[in-house]
Amino acid sequence: MKHIRLFLCLALFLTIFSCTKLNEKFRSELDQNNTASITASELLINAYNSIAGTFQGNGNLWSSATITSDEAIGPTRAGDWDDNGLWRSLHLHSWNADHSYLSGAYNSLLGAQFAASNVLQFNPSTQQAAEARFLRALSMYWVLDGYDQVPYREDLTDYKKLPVTLKGLEVVDFIVAELNAIMGDLPDNGPSGATVANKNAARALLMKVYLNKGVFANRAAPTFDGGDMDQVISLADQIINSGKYTLNDNFFDIFAPDNDIKSSESIYTFLNTGTSARGSDAMRGFTFMVSHYNMNPAGWNGFSTLSAFYDKFEATDKRLGGYYPYPDGLPNPGHRTNVGFLIGQQYNLTTDVPLNARNPATAPLSFTRDVKIRETDPNTLELTGIRVIKYPFDYTTSGDFKKNDFVVFRLADVMLMKAEALLRKGDNGGALAIVNTIRAKRGASNLGSLDLNGMLEERGREMYWECYRRNDLIRFGKWLEAWQEKAADAGNANLLFPIPSNQLAVNPNLTQNPGYN
Amino acid sequence: MLISAKLQKRMLMLIKRLLHAIFMPVFLTLSLSLLAQDRVVTGKVTDSKDNSPVAGASVQPKGSKTGTSTGADGSFTIAVPAGAKTLVISSAEFDQQEVDITDKTTVDVALVAKAAGLTEVVVIGYGTARKKDLTGAVQSVQAKDFNKGTYTSPDQLIQGKAAGVLVINNTGQPGGSTTIRIRGSSSIRSGNQPLFVLDGVPLSGGSARPGSVGGEYSNDGGNPLNYLNPNDIASMEILKDASATAIYGSRGANGVIIINTKRGKTGTPSIDFNTSIGASTVLKQLEVLNAGEYRQALKDYNITSGDYGGDVNAFDEITQTGLVQNYNVSVNGGTETGRYRLSMGYLDQEGVIKTSHLKKATANLNTSFKFLESKRLGLDMNLLVTQTNEDIAPISAVVGFTGNLISQALQWNPTHPLIKPGTDSAWIDPAVGATTINPLAQLAYYKDKAIVNTIVASVAPSFKITNELEYKLLISVNRSVGTRAGMINRLLNFEPTLNRGAAFNADEQETNTQLTNTLSYNKQITPALNLNAVIGYEWLTFKSRLSYQNAQDFTNVGLNYYDYMQYSTQASRQIFSYANPTTELQSYFARAIVNYKDRFLLTGTFRSDGSTRFGENNKYGYFPSVGVAWNVTKEDFMSGAGFINNLKLRLGWGETGNQEFPSGASLNRFQFGQQSISQSNYGNADLVWESSATTNAGIDFSILNDRLSGSIDYFYKKTTDVLFEQNIVQPAPGGKIWINLDGYVLNKGVEITLYWNALRSQDMSLNFGGNVSFLQNSVEGLAGFYETGELRGQGFSDVRGQRVVAGQPLNVWYLRQFEGLDKNTGQSIYTDQGNTLFYSGSPNPKTLLGFSADYTYKKWTATINMNGTFGHYIFNNTAASVLGIGNLGTRNIAKELLGGDVKESIANAPAPSTRNLEKGNYLKMANATIAYRVGNLGKSGIRNVNLFLTGQNLFVITDYTGFDPEVNTEATFGGIPSLGVEYIPYPSSRTITFGVNFSL
Repeated sequence: MKHIRLFLCLALFLTIFSCTKLNEKFRSELDQNNTASITASELLINAYNSIAGTFQGNGNLWSSATITSDEAIGPTRAGDWDDNGLWRSLHLHSWNADHSYLSGAYNSLLGAQFAASNVLQFNPSTQQAAEARFLRALSMYWVLDGYDQVPYREDLTDYKKLPVTLKGLEVVDFIVAELNAIMGDLPDNGPSGATVANKNAARALLMKVYLNKGVFANRAAPTFDGGDMDQVISLADQIINSGKYTLNDNFFDIFAPDNDIKSSESIYTFLNTGTSARGSDAMRGFTFMVSHYNMNPAGWNGFSTLSAFYDKFEATDKRLGGYYPYPDGLPNPGHRTNVGFLIGQQYNLTTDVPLNARNPATAPLSFTRDVKIRETDPNTLELTGIRVIKYPFDYTTSGDFKKNDFVVFRLADVMLMKAEALLRKGDNGGALAIVNTIRAKRGASNLGSLDLNGMLEERGREMYWECYRRNDLIRFGKWLEAWQEKAADAGNANLLFPIPSNQLAVNPNLTQNPGYN
Repeated sequence: MLISAKLQKRMLMLIKRLLHAIFMPVFLTLSLSLLAQDRVVTGKVTDSKDNSPVAGASVQPKGSKTGTSTGADGSFTIAVPAGAKTLVISSAEFDQQEVDITDKTTVDVALVAKAAGLTEVVVIGYGTARKKDLTGAVQSVQAKDFNKGTYTSPDQLIQGKAAGVLVINNTGQPGGSTTIRIRGSSSIRSGNQPLFVLDGVPLSGGSARPGSVGGEYSNDGGNPLNYLNPNDIASMEILKDASATAIYGSRGANGVIIINTKRGKTGTPSIDFNTSIGASTVLKQLEVLNAGEYRQALKDYNITSGDYGGDVNAFDEITQTGLVQNYNVSVNGGTETGRYRLSMGYLDQEGVIKTSHLKKATANLNTSFKFLESKRLGLDMNLLVTQTNEDIAPISAVVGFTGNLISQALQWNPTHPLIKPGTDSAWIDPAVGATTINPLAQLAYYKDKAIVNTIVASVAPSFKITNELEYKLLISVNRSVGTRAGMINRLLNFEPTLNRGAAFNADEQETNTQLTNTLSYNKQITPALNLNAVIGYEWLTFKSRLSYQNAQDFTNVGLNYYDYMQYSTQASRQIFSYANPTTELQSYFARAIVNYKDRFLLTGTFRSDGSTRFGENNKYGYFPSVGVAWNVTKEDFMSGAGFINNLKLRLGWGETGNQEFPSGASLNRFQFGQQSISQSNYGNADLVWESSATTNAGIDFSILNDRLSGSIDYFYKKTTDVLFEQNIVQPAPGGKIWINLDGYVLNKGVEITLYWNALRSQDMSLNFGGNVSFLQNSVEGLAGFYETGELRGQGFSDVRGQRVVAGQPLNVWYLRQFEGLDKNTGQSIYTDQGNTLFYSGSPNPKTLLGFSADYTYKKWTATINMNGTFGHYIFNNTAASVLGIGNLGTRNIAKELLGGDVKESIANAPAPSTRNLEKGNYLKMANATIAYRVGNLGKSGIRNVNLFLTGQNLFVITDYTGFDPEVNTEATFGGIPSLGVEYIPYPSSRTITFGVNFSL
């Protein structure tokens, strides 16, 4: 009898002892009940990383702005780069709402928007709040530019509440109000502080918004209001007259591995330290995507520019590239072209021995002008297309992380936007003067006159492969035209990207853009 | 004198009487016992089937409570009362026999084995039951029916042995992971593997073997059951339908597999030795061109370069004949009140790919005691200790354009020598391309070692409060610690590490504890009514933690980089640590099995599970089930049908759950980066377990003197509240949120199992067994679609080939349709120029088949086991993107691309299409054994010697052109697992083993 009692007691004891409340206890993360120690500065670093991650690399945003234009193409070289037609459909403008990179860019930008908004929930200082709001405005601008519909969450804590959808000019008004509200609280940095959101960065973004306002109102037939152009000009003057920025003598210093020191034009850049501390391992993609297997660095041999685009440059134009000597670069005894547009015979940049292709291994590695969207001739597959390297490759850092800061806003862009605004207001002379100032610095001859076509061309030469080509082509009404390896678009639908079907499926406040299923 | 003679006489009489009274009984007793002890009977008890001795059989005079047991050689000596006429011989696996001993001093008894069928006792959740009392779909597989050969983990033992159970060895890597599906996949995202219970200890399903970091090391996660020694397993029970698994509540939705290890046997201590040695070779090589064929192909295509004058076979150079050794020794013995079994095993398995090697040492001690005079207090103790030590070959499915060891070997130009002339090292020749990796270099410059130590300890005291009421407590701890280290030599021309080298150290630990109380009641309430009931409480905790360091920039001094990490450059270092939130599960459960006159059976179970993972609003889940069965043969109207020995109809329904989603999904969480914090997800406080409701109807039968028996089951399983990581409305953290979907997954089918004792005679026996299952799977009610099935290779970036979408089976293929090659251009033709993709078939098998046969003639036995799956499609990613015609001139191509009707163009781009979607039907000779029973070796004491020769994976009958249709390469995308992709996997192997078993 007493045995039974003993055991029942023991059992009861053990049962009670082990009754728990079943709350999850986190050991390597913080949950919503333990956020008291989280500071805004930690979240702000994450917000910077988040938006930088959206831009850097040859997929997603960069490809949606570049491969879709007349300045680049991602040809299918037999086995290489077929990728289910992803790159071809970008250049041909034949994408649909399931396109991996268009969907990736949209989701990535909105994720960055969330990260920036989240900073505001954690008692940021005035400047931290201003920086976060700048980053949020920047990501919203890009969503507006590509997709027109920008979901905006008013209440970040309750995910079940659907975000409202701001469209077109609503977004413009929102961004303008935001940037004006925070202007006073942002630091007043020059090129050395370009990695932190600053006043001139906010001004440059405002310029973009005003310049494109007419486009956002009507992409098929934009009109440019004089008042908006005045805003662009006055903001440009504030930046230029601050005296902080000058045009670089050496164009590629703006993009070099140590551009945080060398660039005198940088207004706002994404910080890359060359280590996993800050930065993305995707910057190397900008070289790898064009570089051939036998070059140094050995790349993925793919993307190139189009010969018509290459022909826009005069022979003396330094922006065409050439021999760029930089510390810790390869010896390059033959002073071969290692930045800008790579055409013709390529060389081993250490031994100066001319390189051959991989297949056929006897063919000299000589990049040709002409490239087709589908290369099928086995003898020339690897060789076609002029390659473009905008960011000189960083050979110093161990591994995938590169030091080149990604340039978002710079002086030349601001000057060109001012020139464009003047031009649209009718001041051809004023516009021409600015363009010639830039051209002089870049080794190109003076232009005699300037019209809208010329303006677009100059923007192409200056800002190639910096993610602005699509925006420029739409604003100048050229986006739907035919160019090399692309037919003209039927209808206007492609002026906007489709809202990704994976977001349409879950957000009833979004509607598909016209012309897409 | 004083006392008269008369009185004296009377006193004497009294004394005599007194003495008589006292001593007579004693005398009588003594004389009786003398009479009782007056004879001794000896004899021998054997198995009537093969004359092997039966040890530990109980021998008692009929009506007596005491007796003796047979020794290891089956012999016994017993003293019986003079008048005793009968001895009763009994032993667990045999029918009890009474033998006449009238006027005999020696008897030999041949026991007849109990017929397979409804008389066994099977282990069900938290208890045992007689097979005839079961109402659910439970299949029991005994050790003698396991697949024969050398295996690393228990799930391989039952491959093809149970209807409705699909076991796929995902790769050929020793100790590699397996995919197990019981009655189809019911979950879209969260785990689909069944719950394993080891002697009452529910396992976590995870393992402490760390993943690799950086570089392209093998990405296979290994089999979490590798720490078990298959030789220690006595039987496995597979619980398939909800009326059997509901007692496991929120972990039972995918079925439950109960593993029972061998226990000590009563009798004098005996030692058993099982040893085997064998060799493994590659099962199938893919056909690529040899040097001569390559040169000819170059000529045919007018390619001027690509001939380097040599002649090599790269695939041969990376494969080897792997030696497999398996040694097991076990000691067991004991008495009625104390039994033990100690076993030790050592497995040393070389893989068929050079450098891959698995070594495993296990030790297992289990003891069972009964204390107190009444023997009411029981104590079971188990201790299992294992160390697995692996050298892992660099074969990963998640690789960039430089591929892995297998693709490098397949693609190697057969005319280019592998070894640099004048040296004995791999030739890294820029002429073949700076990024082309020599497979011998890959072998030489990669190192990857993993060591995992596991301890499982459990203590289970029990107390029989009354004869019917028993209390049992089970406490167990499962602790596993794993380390992994790897390096890539700086000489390898792998771009991220060339001239730098890389190394990592990773470690992981897992500690799981269990406390289970049960109170069971087992009573024949009335002669007609029997009740077997149990109630219980269980508390489980799961805790794990991992960390790693990874760095670059080493120098070659002949040491392993991972042993001097401090040499690396600061800038290249990455460190990381993560401790999982502790997961706890608290449950109450109850079951009652009611047996009415052995005719009607009713089982009801109920379980309530509370888990830390569930959202605030739904901490507890409730899982009921009910099953009924009718033993038709017990009915009066069946008494005439003599040829039907057993017929039972079963019907069951139950609800089970699945809670395999990551801890923390129900809360907003913040994670750490370098000096930064980010919100990683929105939490869903409403998150609940996935719920599966299964209806099962079955028939068990045994006819023709139990010669033919089997079961037929029909099941219908609907999984609702499907756990899913859905795209969240942007802007949002992480882009995804865990929700319970509105849709559901449906699995239904029919399972048929048959056993046929075709022949049973003195010298010969022939038995057949088979099972076939038909499955149908579909997804309904899902909004939109989700992609998975990441296809890889050059030209295959960001390509997904499968979808989860309503109206289709899970993971349906979604590809462009290939129509052939254009006669004029040699390019592929696709429907609608490849702009439209089509739903092209399912990777889920529709039919599973298992077949076995064994034939015994005198001392020889031959056994074969075959299994197969049918009705599904596999995407041959290896053929699609590794050996395409475009390689000609630089790399090797598949032989079948030449000599067709249309000459394919060199520039034909490989693109994901139905061209490489192949039918996956196969029938495999999984293992075949020939055994010879030598018996006892004379007077040496060595007994029960058995020799055997076994072949595993002997041949495959299939149309599939890849390495092995039994494959499941990891192609998960966005958290959704894939099925049916083959991408340059570790090749499967064929193993021939020779072994000896004997006892002392």
